[in-house]
Amino acid sequence: MAIQLLLNGLAVGSVYALIATGFALIFSILKFSNFSHGALMTLSAFVGYFVSAGTGWSLIPVLIVSMLVGGLIGLFGEFVAFRRITKRNSATFYYFVSSITLGTFYESIVTIIVGAGYFVYPMFFSKPAIWIGNFVIQTSSVVMLGISAIVLIILVFVLQKTKMGRALRAVSYDRDTAYLMGIDVFKTISIAFFISGALGALAGVFLGIYNYTLTAQLGNLVVKGFIASVIGGLGSISGAVFGAVLLGLLETILIFFIGSGYAPVATFLIMILFLFIRPQGIAGKSVQEKA
Amino acid sequence: MKKLWKTLLVLGVAFSLVACSGNKTETSEKKETETETTEKTETPETPETPEAPDTNGTASSGDTIKIGALQDITGKTATLGKMIQAGAQYAIDEINAAGGVNGKKLELITRDTTGDVTEAINAFTLLATQDGVSAIIGPPVANIGLAIAPLSEQYNVPILGFAIDTAVLQNKDGVTYKNMFLFQPSDDQQGAIMAKYAINELNSKKIGAIYRSDNAYSLGLVDGFKSYLSESGSDAKIVQEVQFTATDTDFSTMLMKLMNAGADVIYAPNYTQELITIAQQARAVGYTGPIIMGLDAAPPFASLAGAASNNVIYINNITESEPKVAEIMEKYKAETGADATNKFFLGYDVVNILADTITEVGEDSVAIRDAVEKLTGYEGLTGIISINPENHQPQGLEMYIHEIKDGQSVMIKQYSAE
Repeated sequence: MAIQLLLNGLAVGSVYALIATGFALIFSILKFSNFSHGALMTLSAFVGYFVSAGTGWSLIPVLIVSMLVGGLIGLFGEFVAFRRITKRNSATFYYFVSSITLGTFYESIVTIIVGAGYFVYPMFFSKPAIWIGNFVIQTSSVVMLGISAIVLIILVFVLQKTKMGRALRAVSYDRDTAYLMGIDVFKTISIAFFISGALGALAGVFLGIYNYTLTAQLGNLVVKGFIASVIGGLGSISGAVFGAVLLGLLETILIFFIGSGYAPVATFLIMILFLFIRPQGIAGKSVQEKA
Repeated sequence: MKKLWKTLLVLGVAFSLVACSGNKTETSEKKETETETTEKTETPETPETPEAPDTNGTASSGDTIKIGALQDITGKTATLGKMIQAGAQYAIDEINAAGGVNGKKLELITRDTTGDVTEAINAFTLLATQDGVSAIIGPPVANIGLAIAPLSEQYNVPILGFAIDTAVLQNKDGVTYKNMFLFQPSDDQQGAIMAKYAINELNSKKIGAIYRSDNAYSLGLVDGFKSYLSESGSDAKIVQEVQFTATDTDFSTMLMKLMNAGADVIYAPNYTQELITIAQQARAVGYTGPIIMGLDAAPPFASLAGAASNNVIYINNITESEPKVAEIMEKYKAETGADATNKFFLGYDVVNILADTITEVGEDSVAIRDAVEKLTGYEGLTGIISINPENHQPQGLEMYIHEIKDGQSVMIKQYSAE
């Protein structure tokens, strides 16, 4: 039972990690919380649903298509809602308003198309559970955990080892200097939004699979990604992953021991505690923002 | 550049406006098409409440007898409301084709509650005052019923409803509202029926319960279940219960807790969407035993939940093994392409009861109320219905217990709460 709980927690945590890294990526570059991320997840989860229902494809192609579409939605969002604000060097407040508006826009699209009802997500696994003797694990947990881990490792590799990754990090440290060094800042920002969108889409489809049903409210789970990146340190990718896994485990254990009614109370208390004693999060460095 | 920004902004605003209005037109279109049968759905203005209650009862005049339907046609619970309306209309068409009642045709006047309490009160007031209906087919939703119940005292129109919360029938002091009636087993009765099955047929000793703590429907069914367990004197008991709320979507950890407590039966009185996830995740965490569910696991649940629905046991008002039910389902499917659910037959039975009553006592709403209160042994498709004059609930009304085997619902037994 303990191992099953742990595995559940890790699986949930890995999906939160996808949300949180998508969130953190944008925060690290443009220094704002992208509140349209949740709606992007919903939109992409529905893309995954309709692709799968329409074609009957297996999981991997559905994931790839959803991630591509999610990435494109991310690009679109950056171009429509944030590009001008970046160019004018406007206050962060405008990003905030713009991202909320964009999120509402995506949500409205979803509601217009699918309505208020729920959809039963296609089942990708012939067996919902894997039995090893008396021991049972959820197929969806294993698959989610595996794929998320692979994707996150690739992400870290890209960020640390490739030219594109270095450009991303350079822009996140200091956009103006990066620009002076000859880095195409807008291309780099676009790439960040594409990756963030693809990660959001992956998380969206996973949440659809794991919960078996899909509604237009799926995007509300973005809050978990937000909490995770606060715990981990806003803007830090490794911190986001760490915070998300911690949150997933914590939630699962709390639900098991104190029930789902009190679990969110405890979770939010922990977040407040973090904001008090370590506002920069686990991985964050306490560096003063430059004026 | 500034121009470009402005153009974009204008485009954005225009687009969002189009998006908004597009949404609205869609709903209003729906409203029009779905309530074609009545031209009175559009509420012109807030209805005026008469100052002095009408004590003479409402008698329809003219050559039709009017029956009101107070149902959600366009709101969140529209799937339920539209089914009841369709069943009522179906029965009315049958009756009219056979010559009507006392030489008059029946006419259904539907008013849309939109699933909203305020709208529902307006709609009810219009039905009770302007439309001159002899009786009203009430909603299957407790919050609407609760809003209507105190108001119904002011008028003399009986409301034959389906909200299983007994608070809809009695006020706080336990006095029964004169016009409110329930035409399916109450939540206490349904909970008891399920508990009875768990004890008698499944020989369950350890029951695990999973239910939504912020939903009166779930809580009512849990209460009924628990009180039957304690009154039955059986050694079966709830060994573990887990509660969840509207925001929860992952039940696997909660289900593991039930398994950990050694539950041999899981009781899950929740809404269909939640039941799909619960069934799937229960199987995914390795629970293979029976899961008892309420009316919400009636078709199309099995087709939605797939293989996970096997060994799910649920209660229903109807059974497809009843030839008349099967016949109507087939006919309705051929006519409309839609499946008739249990709510359809609730509406169907109530219209037939009203037709019988009107044949006997005429179309005066007070006379109908008095007759409905004394209803005994009406053989409907949803069971043999007798109304208890004390509490206006059906007495000894049986429900059909089904088990899902290989995706097919099999009727196992008929049970009443008593």
